[in-house]
Amino acid sequence: MIGLTIGLIALMVIADAASDVLVARAMKQIGEVTNFRPRALLKTLGRMFRTPSFGAGISAAAIHFFTFLTLLSFVGLSYVFPATALVYVLATAGAQVILKEHVSLRRWAGVCLVCAGMLLVSVS
Amino acid sequence: MKTLLFLAVAVVAQAAGNICLSLGMRHLAAAFSADSEHWGALALLALTSPWLWAGAALLATFTLLFTLVLSWTDLSLALPVISVEIVVNVALAGWLLGESISPLHWLGTILVAAGVALVVGTAQDKTSLDQGQPA
Repeated sequence: MIGLTIGLIALMVIADAASDVLVARAMKQIGEVTNFRPRALLKTLGRMFRTPSFGAGISAAAIHFFTFLTLLSFVGLSYVFPATALVYVLATAGAQVILKEHVSLRRWAGVCLVCAGMLLVSVS
Repeated sequence: MKTLLFLAVAVVAQAAGNICLSLGMRHLAAAFSADSEHWGALALLALTSPWLWAGAALLATFTLLFTLVLSWTDLSLALPVISVEIVVNVALAGWLLGESISPLHWLGTILVAAGVALVVGTAQDKTSLDQGQPA
């Protein structure tokens, strides 16, 4: 049971981070949005849904959500919630490796502080 | 500047959305404890709750703004910055909802705020678009 719980928590965190990375990738492929009029935004939404990375990102978000619900059916929120703090580190690593973003040491330090803070908030 | 403005509005929308959902669910819970056998009436109450609709609309606004920001800035900048929402949420939950906040909770909130401040300081760093990297 412990193995299953750890496996599901890992899946939940990876799916959440993957969702962020995939949606970010899709938005970079679409290009900078500069027109915020309703009609233009609807057009952008249409392009987003036609971009494969965006669909993959939404699918990953769905996997995260249903894994989260599954976990809650047999372990308490206090076990599941702290793990979500790791998403910040994993998504930043994904941004650096997959999206080729330049992540300075200072930014990494900030991300680690956010992760530690979220961990404290979730266990308190 | 544009990025931080969009993210600030997104964070406020998310925090306000969470407060609205919380208030809506409290009203629903009160109605449920008073009349726990009529699920249809409760569902109707949920569907006609202005708090729940406002909460859903605000969270949809947050998602749209965050996604739009990702079209021109780095995920490694935007993602940690929106975590400042937890600071706003804790402050609003204490102020508007009268929830008690533990010292450990406050400490975590301060760490998040410090982390976000560090990340915001890197907002002028080159983005992947500046570097011409294929995303």
